[in-house]
Parts: sequence; structure tokens; C-alpha cells
Amino acid sequence: MKVQIEDVTVYFPYDNIYPEQYAYMVELKRALDAKGHCLLEMPTGTGKTIALLSLITSYTLSKPQSPVKLIYCTRTVHEMEKTLAELKLLHNYQVKNLGLAARILAIGLSSRKNLCINQRVLAAENRDSVDAACRKLTASWVRSKAAENSNVRTCEFFENYERAASGALLPPGVYTLQDLREFGKQNGWCPYFLSRHMVQFANVVVYNYQYLLDPKVAGIISKEMQKESVVVFDEAHNIDNVCIEALSVSVRRQTLDGASRNLTRMQQEIERFKATDASRLRAEYNRLVEGLALRGDLPASDSWLANPALPDDILKEAVPGNIRRAEHFLHVLHRLVHYLKGRLDTENVEKESPVSFVASVNSHAGIDQKTLKFCYDRLHSLMLTLEITDTDEFLHIQTICDFATLVGTYARGFSIIIEPFDERMPHIPDPVLQLSCHDASLAIKPVIDRFQSVVITSGTLSPIDLYPRLLNFHPVVSRSFTMSLTRDCICPMVLTRGSDQLPVSTKFDMRSDPGVARNYGKLLVEMVSVVPDGIVCFFVSYSYMDDIINHWNQHDILKEIMQHKLVFIETQDVVETTLALDNYRKACDCGRGAVFFSVARGKVAEGIDFDQHYGRLVIMFGVPFQYTLSKILLARLEYLRDTFQIKEGDFLTFDALRQAAQCVGRVIRSKADYGMMIFADKRYSRHDKRSKLPSWILSHLRDAHLNLSTDMALYIAREFLRKMAQPYDKTGGSGGRKTLLSQEDLEKMGDNILQGMVY
Amino acid sequence: MNNGGKRRLRENGDRGDDDDDDMEEDGLEAWERTYADERSWEALQEDESGFLRPIDNKAVHHAQYRRRLQSLSATARIQKGLIRFLFVVVDLSKAAAEMDYRPSRMVMIAKQVEAFIREFFDQNPLSQIGLVTIKDGVAHSLTELGGSPESHIKALMGKLECSGDGSLQNALELVQGYLDQIPSYGHREVLILYSALSTCDPGDIMQTIQKCKKSKIRCSVIGLSAEMYICKHLCQETGGSYSIALDEAHLKDLILEHAPPPPAIAEFAVANLIKMGFPQRAAEGSISICSCHKEAKIGEGYICPRCKARVCELPTECRVCGLTLVSSPHLARSYHHLFPIAPFDEVPPSRQFEPHHRLQKTCFGCQQSLRNPSNKFSLYVECPKCKQPFCLDCDIYIHESLHNCPGCESFRPS
Repeated sequence: MKVQIEDVTVYFPYDNIYPEQYAYMVELKRALDAKGHCLLEMPTGTGKTIALLSLITSYTLSKPQSPVKLIYCTRTVHEMEKTLAELKLLHNYQVKNLGLAARILAIGLSSRKNLCINQRVLAAENRDSVDAACRKLTASWVRSKAAENSNVRTCEFFENYERAASGALLPPGVYTLQDLREFGKQNGWCPYFLSRHMVQFANVVVYNYQYLLDPKVAGIISKEMQKESVVVFDEAHNIDNVCIEALSVSVRRQTLDGASRNLTRMQQEIERFKATDASRLRAEYNRLVEGLALRGDLPASDSWLANPALPDDILKEAVPGNIRRAEHFLHVLHRLVHYLKGRLDTENVEKESPVSFVASVNSHAGIDQKTLKFCYDRLHSLMLTLEITDTDEFLHIQTICDFATLVGTYARGFSIIIEPFDERMPHIPDPVLQLSCHDASLAIKPVIDRFQSVVITSGTLSPIDLYPRLLNFHPVVSRSFTMSLTRDCICPMVLTRGSDQLPVSTKFDMRSDPGVARNYGKLLVEMVSVVPDGIVCFFVSYSYMDDIINHWNQHDILKEIMQHKLVFIETQDVVETTLALDNYRKACDCGRGAVFFSVARGKVAEGIDFDQHYGRLVIMFGVPFQYTLSKILLARLEYLRDTFQIKEGDFLTFDALRQAAQCVGRVIRSKADYGMMIFADKRYSRHDKRSKLPSWILSHLRDAHLNLSTDMALYIAREFLRKMAQPYDKTGGSGGRKTLLSQEDLEKMGDNILQGMVY
Repeated sequence: MNNGGKRRLRENGDRGDDDDDDMEEDGLEAWERTYADERSWEALQEDESGFLRPIDNKAVHHAQYRRRLQSLSATARIQKGLIRFLFVVVDLSKAAAEMDYRPSRMVMIAKQVEAFIREFFDQNPLSQIGLVTIKDGVAHSLTELGGSPESHIKALMGKLECSGDGSLQNALELVQGYLDQIPSYGHREVLILYSALSTCDPGDIMQTIQKCKKSKIRCSVIGLSAEMYICKHLCQETGGSYSIALDEAHLKDLILEHAPPPPAIAEFAVANLIKMGFPQRAAEGSISICSCHKEAKIGEGYICPRCKARVCELPTECRVCGLTLVSSPHLARSYHHLFPIAPFDEVPPSRQFEPHHRLQKTCFGCQQSLRNPSNKFSLYVECPKCKQPFCLDCDIYIHESLHNCPGCESFRPS
């Protein structure tokens, strides 16, 4: 259908549209018009992605004089594929309506692991070794060697791609990763390098957050994106954490040992080169004297490291004299590693600012700040000179240089924390030195500054006013949309008391109380007998989950649960968890019924959907606060308070509640779905906690459901499940609120739709 | 009358002798009942003048009824299976002991099944029913396929106790074994009344479902508490219907929905000639040996036209020569399923003020006034053919029991 939004005709590939999608597009369009950034919250299952894609592509089509490029960032490869599939549908529709003029080029960009088609390279098991295996075949020196000696192996796909040179182009269309691989196989071109090359010409690029936020990667991939781009961060409720992680480094003893090994090996290499090909080292020295302007003219296949600091912060100057010579640089690194080893041997927890850390490095190891800052680039250059291809072996020394450069570059927003052991296991020495970034706005700042519009969107962005403060930018539009439903298909409840009317909570002083564990157990036992198929339970942490399952096991509660449903548990092992999930699904499918125990902030809570019968009920046991005694968290809280005036309590509650919302949001993925959500903790009934839940949950949280005990919740659950099992009219019927609009409806209703959709 | 009926009556109005009513209903004092079971205050609403009144559910119920009728009439003109072989599977796992229906799910189900069996034979005199129970993870055949309502009801009432888990797969396997032997003109159906929320199966239930699909067994499930994926899947695959009961009255409606014959499955829709006998009633006072009870009986029986054996009830299959024995009214009763009367049209409120309509103030069926006490027209319907108005009660009566429109019948072309 075609929708007219102000001066833009939006081509929407479906015959009907949800009112909230329309409202979403209107807001988005206004943000694009204003060339500003925006924050949009809309519940999952309402077709956010297609609304976004339709509007932005149509916007470009209607304004051919100033084309906008769309950069769409997703969290996982799976989401990327989904997005591209939707885009393909939309593209076909647009081409059908507008003819060939509407053709665009849209590609997904991912790591070699997902794009490579060379069987020998793909045999490697993880991402780093695939990268290394690829480099072994495609590095410029390997290829020049191969030109002389036919026994040296190269990658035929890459060779073909290089031979085709500028002729290697993708015809317009939408390419998923699968399509890219197919195309590569057909033409014999390497899909990875082809897509890397095509990024500059594509109208739509879909890739991972890291490619834009992590300066190490962004420097290579994203630096050529033009300013007139719209950047979309989908599922961006955790964007601040992604930003922080991109700039944080942790160093353990293994890292340091590995780094020492790396250094020894590099030493040998240097000796070898001195004996055979001393001119290379001299050439490198000369290049360094002239400055670091080397990255521009490197062949694409060789650029694999970029500075971890942000582009603006790298000085355009020559490498300091004391590390220009390879062996001198190695000495510096030796001293640095040695110094860090010494620091790790501490007995106490230490916290330091980068400034004092740099001062101490200077006095103890004789390395000044400027030298530190150049470590990463110098290492990069050295490794290229030494023609090292098995880069996965050298991760340790890279981590060290990464650390050094960040410490040398930033004086604010970071702190260095050395912990001799894990707080929770004080008897096992496991020293770790962490450089943690506290300021999420650092990593996102270049993106915000550089691009015309940045759209941050997710199902849970509440409270929506906190994100601009955390990320330090000014959105022109920030809105939260409701979900228009034909029936009340979500049923959130706050359970404050157990069956014996005593309060339940995972508060620190109550959590070890056996009464609470028993009450939680009783709740689950009762629920498994009334809820069909799948139930998902989220606990606040692995250790709490272990405790409570132990307790339930001792008191036969687990056995009672098993009479009704099978029990599956998430563990820290990915393979084990995947297997558990698989069997959980099977048990739900065949009617046996199953319960899945999982942890908030875990992999399952973030990425796995429990839609339809896989999740009829989700129970959130407790409020998933972060581990508040963690030194890193404390340091970050302090920084947030001092810099952004965000109170500690506010931030902790916000963070806990967004995790809780994320967990319970797993069960409802579309409008035809239904599910219940139980927040089992007395603290949820307090206004300051509850009000931070996303508005689409809050609007269904009736006052009567705010202070329930187990038996009341049980009754409500029974009634809800009966009601939801009844047949219903999917379009919302003729009268009352319409939830599915056709083109006619839209034209008739005009702007009235907007009211009521926005909070 | 049962509890549900009574409750429904109260919702619909007249709350006059409410109090004594409640007392005898469950034998419980008001304070003994948990608030959970009877949220009586929820059945109240405030009217314009601030008085509390019971919610008028009539329009809502009628809307539901109409929706059902519409969906049925959509399939009205297609061939229907009049000779049905239906297995009723009653879940007697421990979930059936739950008390959310009074006095327990099990007893209530038994009661409804009894009503269903009678209604079923009333509407499908040529069909047969068998009973199966699920208990302790296994399925038992309670009665074999037969045409006598009494024997089924007796067998069911005698076996009302529950334990263990339910197993859908075992029940399906058992039923499939029986139904596979049915001749091809018969329609194979299973109606499962499932209390439990899980099924403990010995093998892969998906294969069993495919097997049922292959032998063209139409499986329908009525759940008592919540929607289960596997049941939904089963019904979708085999072309049955899946529904969940809200309360006792709703359950009754749902069960009785299965009484009229379902549309015939396309592959079966070949016309077949079936040999049938129309036995004569035995003379009063004549003594003969009954072939079904194996004892001498006086009068009150039917004589098979082919082998002259005596049977007690019709319809049945002759024990001696295997001929299907029916009476002609039975055939006639099955007939209306093929030619149902069209659903009546609802009269929109706007049209009620047209002068033409102002004249007719009474229902053509019962002659009651169509105005409610506040002198406004309440909702009413009219026949699309004869354009006579009918009240909602008559609408239901005409479609469900009478199967004739009084307006059209009394209309004679001059």
C-alpha cells in the first residue's frame, strides 16, 4: 500500500498497516526532515523494522537530489539476515510499483567467518582463526611470494576478485549474507572483500554495532561513509554497555604470559630479518619518521588493525623516536609487560585514574605517555613488516598495546582497577587488571557528530529521557509508542507475597531466608499445574539460581515441578545451553511441557525468543540489580554522578528494570501471541521501580494486579489463559479501536491516528 | 438443573431469590466460598441513575451465538456426513480431580457427556459412539462403538475415578485401531475432553497424529483449562476444532457443537448406497427372545425385516444378520442438516426508527413485545426471506430446535 506522509509517499509492502507503525513513520520522518537524531521506543512484534526500512527508503526515493544512505546496525547475525529479508520484500514491492528507478543496492557485512567460501579457510573453528587463515592466503607478501613460487598457496576467490579489479561490482539488489556467498561462488569472487568494497556504493548497509562503535573496526570499515547517512541502532536498549565494552580492556595473567611469548617470537623474527633482509626494517624506520600516514596506502587485505582510540583523538604526528627501531620498541613492550606483571601481584584491590597510572608507568618502567599512546600503531606496523600472518596467535600482545594506547590517550572517563581475586571467591587468586570505560558517550560521540541522523530504537527504552543523558546527545524526537491490541494479550502481575502472605524479595538481607525460597518454589509448583506448554523463569544471577535450585532440590519442590513439566537450566557453557534450549522446545512441542531456568543478563535473556507456546508465562524472580559491590560498577556510578548528575540509585534501578523488561519481553513477539509476566518481588510494587518499566507493559498492569499473593496470581492466571484461548477477531472488528488499517482507513482518519498512539 | 445453568440465569436478570439459591447450590455458607470462585461483584454494573444492576450479557451471548451460526451456515450447502462413528475420549488423569468446576471436573464432564450422548443420538440417529478413558498414562476402552445411549452412560457413570498422568498418544493409538476397521462410508471422529495440561507419551506423538490424519480421523479437542500447543496441532492437522471452556455453561455449548454432523471430508464425499432395514414394531404382548439381552421379553421390540430377530432399540445393527436397522423418523431427523434455514439478519438500531418498523412491535414467533421496559427497541432479527421480525430467544429456538421458519411456513403464495 502507499501511504502519504506529509510530502513523502511511503511504499509499504503489506496491504494493511498498524496504527503505531504509521505513527512511528511520521515521527521518524520529522526527525529526518530536521536532520537530527531520534529515540523511538516501540514494543517488539509491531513491525518496527519494516516501518523503518519503508520510510527511509521511500524518503530517499522522494528526494533524489540528496540521497540518504542507510546504515542499519543490528546486534546479531540472525537479526541482520531477518532485516535483509524484510528489505528484500520491500525492495521487490518498490521496484514493482516504481520500476527500475527504485533499484537500490543493499548488502550485509559480516566477518570472514560468515562470508568466506573457501573451504580450507572455513575449516578453522573460531572467528580469529578464520581471519588468520584468510590472511595466510591473501596477505600481500604471501601473494607476491606466490607469484614467484607456485607452491605457495593463495585463495583463488581472492585472486579472481583482484584480477577483476574495479570490474568486480555487485549489480543492484538486496543481498543477504547467503546471497553474497552464492554470488561469490557463481562469479568466483571473494564475497568478503567484495562486500567490503561495495560498502562505499551501497544505499543500504546492514552490519553489526561493532563496525560503527568499536574504533578498532570502525576505522577500517566505516570511515568512508558519507555524512548524509541515517544510522539506525536496532534493539539498542543496551547501547551504552556496547559503547563501554568497545573501549574497555581487561588484562589477566594469561594475557601477560602470552604477551611475553609473543615478544620472544617477534624478537626471533627481527633477528631473522636482520640476517636476511635488513632493508625492510630500515624502510619501516624511514616510514615511521615521516609519520603515521601509512594506513591510507595499504592494500585492503593487509589492514586488519586500527587504533582502539577514537579517530579524533589520534594525533597526526610522527612516532616518537624511542620506539622507531623495532628492537627498541620490543624493549619498551618488555618493560611494560614486566611492569604490569608486577602490578598484578598486588594483594589488595587498587583503583587508579589513568593519569596517575601513566605517571607510575613513567617512573617505574620509564615509558612516557606519548610512547604509550603510539603502542598500538607501532605494533601494527611492526607486524606488517615482520610479515606475520597467524594473527590469532598474537592476540595477547595486541591486548596489551590496546590497553597502553587507551591509557595513554584518555585522561577522563576511565579508571584502572586491579583485583587480586574475584569478590565472590576470595580464596582463588585470579588477578585481573581492568581498564574500564565509564562514559558511553565517548564511543558514540564520533557517530553522533559525523552522521546526519542517528536513530536509536528498541522495544524497551524506558525511561526514555535517560538515554540522551547517558549518551550525551540531543535528540530532536524522542517518543514511546503503545501497541494497539485487539485484546489484552499480555498480563503483567506483581507478586509481592507468597502463599503464606509473607513478602518475597531477592533483597540482600532476605535472599538467604529459606521462607523466600520456599515461597518462590510454591509459586512455581502452582504455576506449572495451571500453565500449559512452556514457562521461562529468570533469576538475578547464576549464584542465586544455584542456591535456590539446591534448596528446591532438597525440599522436593523440584520433584513436584517435574511431575508437571520437565526442567531445563541455562549454564555458562554455550553448547550445553543450546542443547537445553533445543530439548526445551521439543518438550513444549510434544505436549510434555517444560520450564526453563535462566539468568537475567545472560545470553538467553538477550537473544532467545520464547514466543507462542514456548513461553506462556515468564517469572522474574527478584529485581536483577547489578552486582553492586563490583569495583567497576562503583567507579562508573561515581563518574555518572559527577559528570552527568545521574544519581546512583536512579541508574541502578533503571539498569535493573530494563533487564527485567527485556526478560519478560521475551514471551511476546507478535500481536497474535499471548503471555503472562510475573514480577515476583515486593520491590516491584514501589512506584519508583515500577514506573521505569516500558509503557507498553505498564499500560496493561492493572492496579488490582500490583500486590498479589500466590493464590491470587494463580486465579488470575487461570482466567487469563481461558480467556486467551477463545477465538477472536484479528482485525479488531468494525467498531471500537481499529488495529489494522488499510489505505482507505488511513486516508479517512488523517492525523487522528497519531493521538493515542504516543504517550 | 445444574449449577452453570443457574448461574447463567442469575446473570441474565432476576436475582430475586438469590440468597436461598446460593445456599443450596454448593451447600456452603457465603463466607466459606473463596472469593476466587464467585466474583459476584464483577457481574454488576452501574446504570445511568447510579443503581447497581446485573450486567446484561444477553446481547453478548447472542453475538457469540450468531457468530457460530454464521460460520456454520458458511458450510451449509456442502455434503455432510450423516453416518458418524465417534469416539468420546474422557481424560481421567489426576488433573480431572481439580475443583475449579463444581463439584469436580470429572463429575461435571460426565454430566455433560451424558447430555451430549443423548443429543448426539437425537441428531444423528444413524451414528454410533464409543467411549474411551485415559488414566495412569494408558487408555482404556470403556464401551465399544454402539448406538445405545443408555449403555454408554451407564458405563461412564460406573467408572468415575481418576489418577495418574494423561497420555494423548495412547488414546489416539487405541482409537485409531478401532476406527481403522470402520467401513468407508462412515465418518471417523474423535472428541477428546482433556483436563490435563501435559501429555506423557511413550513415543513420538507427531507420528501418531500423522497416522490419524492418514486414516482420515477427524480429531477435536475440548480443553478445560488452557490452550495446549499439541492439541491445537492435532486439530489443525486432522481438520477438527479446538476450543477451551470458560465455565460450565460454555463447556456445554462447546460439547453440543459437536452434535450436528460436520462437513464431509472431500475424499469421502462419494455417494454410496447403504443397505438398511426398517423393522416393524413387535406386536403388544408377544413374547420373543431378544437378541441383544439374550432373554425372553414381552412386547416393546422391533423385528428385523431380514432375519426376524428381535432387537430392543433402534437404531442399531442386527446381531444376527448385521443389517443396519433404523426407523424412518430417524432418517427424516438427519435430513435437516442438509437443508438448514438461513441465519436471520440483525436489524441495525438506525432502521428501527423507520415508520415501517414502528408498526411491528411484536415478535412473530412468540408475540412478545420487542420493546424493552424503557420503551426502546432492544436488539432483534428478521428472516431474510419472509422479513418477519423475531426476538433473540425465538431466533435461537428456530435455528436450534425447530428447523423451520414460522414466517415462511405460514406464508402461502396466493
